[in-house]
Amino acid sequence: MSDIITVKNLVEVYSDGTKAVDDISFSVAEGEFFGFLGPNGAGKSTTIKILTTLLRKTSGTVNIAGYDVEKKAAAIRKIIGVQSQETTVDGDLTGRENITLQGHFHQMKSDEIKKRVNELLVLVGLEGAAEKRARNYSGGMKKRLDLATALVHKPKILFLDEPTTGLDPQSRAAIWTYLEKLNKEEGITIFLTTQYLEEADKLCKRLSIIDVGKIVASGSPTELKREIGADSIRITLDNCKKDSTKAKEIIKSMTDVTEIIDSEECLTVFAKNAGLLIADIVRALDSSDIRLSSVTFSSPSLDDVFMKHTGKRIRTEELVKAPSAMFVGRRR
Amino acid sequence: MTLLSDTRYIFVRYLQKLIRNPILLFFSLFQPIIFLVLFTQILSKFSGLIVLPGGSYLEFATAGILLQNAFGSALQSGNSIVADIDSGYLQKMLVTPVKRPAILLGRLTSDAFRVVIQSAIILGLAYALGAFVTTGVIGILLVFFTIAFFGLAWSGISLAIGMKTRSSETVFAIGGFLTFPLLFLSTALFPLSFMPAWVQDISKFNPISYAVNAIRVLMTSGYDWGTILPAWGVIALVAVITLSATLYMFRKVVS
Repeated sequence: MSDIITVKNLVEVYSDGTKAVDDISFSVAEGEFFGFLGPNGAGKSTTIKILTTLLRKTSGTVNIAGYDVEKKAAAIRKIIGVQSQETTVDGDLTGRENITLQGHFHQMKSDEIKKRVNELLVLVGLEGAAEKRARNYSGGMKKRLDLATALVHKPKILFLDEPTTGLDPQSRAAIWTYLEKLNKEEGITIFLTTQYLEEADKLCKRLSIIDVGKIVASGSPTELKREIGADSIRITLDNCKKDSTKAKEIIKSMTDVTEIIDSEECLTVFAKNAGLLIADIVRALDSSDIRLSSVTFSSPSLDDVFMKHTGKRIRTEELVKAPSAMFVGRRR
Repeated sequence: MTLLSDTRYIFVRYLQKLIRNPILLFFSLFQPIIFLVLFTQILSKFSGLIVLPGGSYLEFATAGILLQNAFGSALQSGNSIVADIDSGYLQKMLVTPVKRPAILLGRLTSDAFRVVIQSAIILGLAYALGAFVTTGVIGILLVFFTIAFFGLAWSGISLAIGMKTRSSETVFAIGGFLTFPLLFLSTALFPLSFMPAWVQDISKFNPISYAVNAIRVLMTSGYDWGTILPAWGVIALVAVITLSATLYMFRKVVS
């Protein structure tokens, strides 16, 4: 399979000097389900805006389906579908009208649009609410309608910026089903950003983990987790500052410990057979007068991958969304 | 070709939004209607007091109120752009191949259409109160053309401000701030001879006066091209300035 998205040394510096994207390179193969996993402010939306012709890059090259993103923006717009982070449907229009209008924006013929709209309404399960104004839709319905509007012209590549942020688990699962179907049955290349580990794990065949504008790791979820090669034990000490160095020394000397790093809690230990090791750690620290406040243990997850590379955990709790005046202009 | 059809779809979208918010439409007509009734009733004795250029004070005031309505609507036009920027709908349009000028043209033409409909309602009400348009159907069409052209020219100001500030509060405030001084310092509601000398001087240079005089002669005296053509000229001048500013801001937003 050939690459449909190629990004080399992409940099985006905002006018206030913030480096939102800091020299990233990656590629996505045709038909692939590819994801960017990272916390808020990692540079995910900025990257999507550049790839979808909305924001001008500071430097680097971006090639979408053989077209240079700045020289051939018009050609790219014809073959991509985009769902932005904010749900953007026109509340005064009905579901059907919203999709139809989007078809007109893509200069499709009226009878072609009619047929496609019916297909899409069924696909996203909105055929019953098609004639209702979108204003009266629930959050999940609006997201599904938004997705349908991005699909009207049968795009080759679908860009989804946090498609399930703010949704309840049920709506989220529904969106996942549609996305998997689109990727498998219609062969659409999907580029998705998310801050949800579970979402990246379930949907993406390959992903890049991104933090403060840099890609810190890439691969399939399985590969990335295998790279950890071990379970993780998170340890919190009563006095982390004072005792962490000593604790590290003690734990390092134990067999089966592959790595030990400073983390938000205090220490994270990667080890094989971590379950058996916990008792040893507790005993050893106790006999050295280091007081523990908690010990948790987990099998490798993408969060551990993220932690291994950044020392932080991805915060997945819902953040109160600030009313953002979306900047649509290109900043240099 | 595509530009034309793209403009049409965006024009239709704005009309649908307008029709589906009848309360908004109703209230935007509320003020001019109240003005029409109050002014013409309270000040009806004007007709006897001073010589008005043609007809009664009702006819005189109707022209002014048509203009006031167009002016008020035009100065709020920028809010729609702010709403589309805020909601992300503008971005949604920009990732499609839709022709960029169509986004602006669709908005402007729907504004012009709206102000013509509002004007027809006001004119209908004035007719019910006893006002006539002496130039007949063609005259009415010319009145509508002048009003739509005027609305287009002035909506440029609020569109530019809307795109610059991205704040509907600012658009509202500036609109409110501009409306009354410009209106009362023009011949929209009171005849020139009624004003003190310094207001007369301002009024003569007020672009609102030119437009209102043109509508007024079409309603009360006839095809006085000596008044109508300069009015169109002044409107065109305003249009060039405000729409250039709008285009400049729009390019910054979309390019």
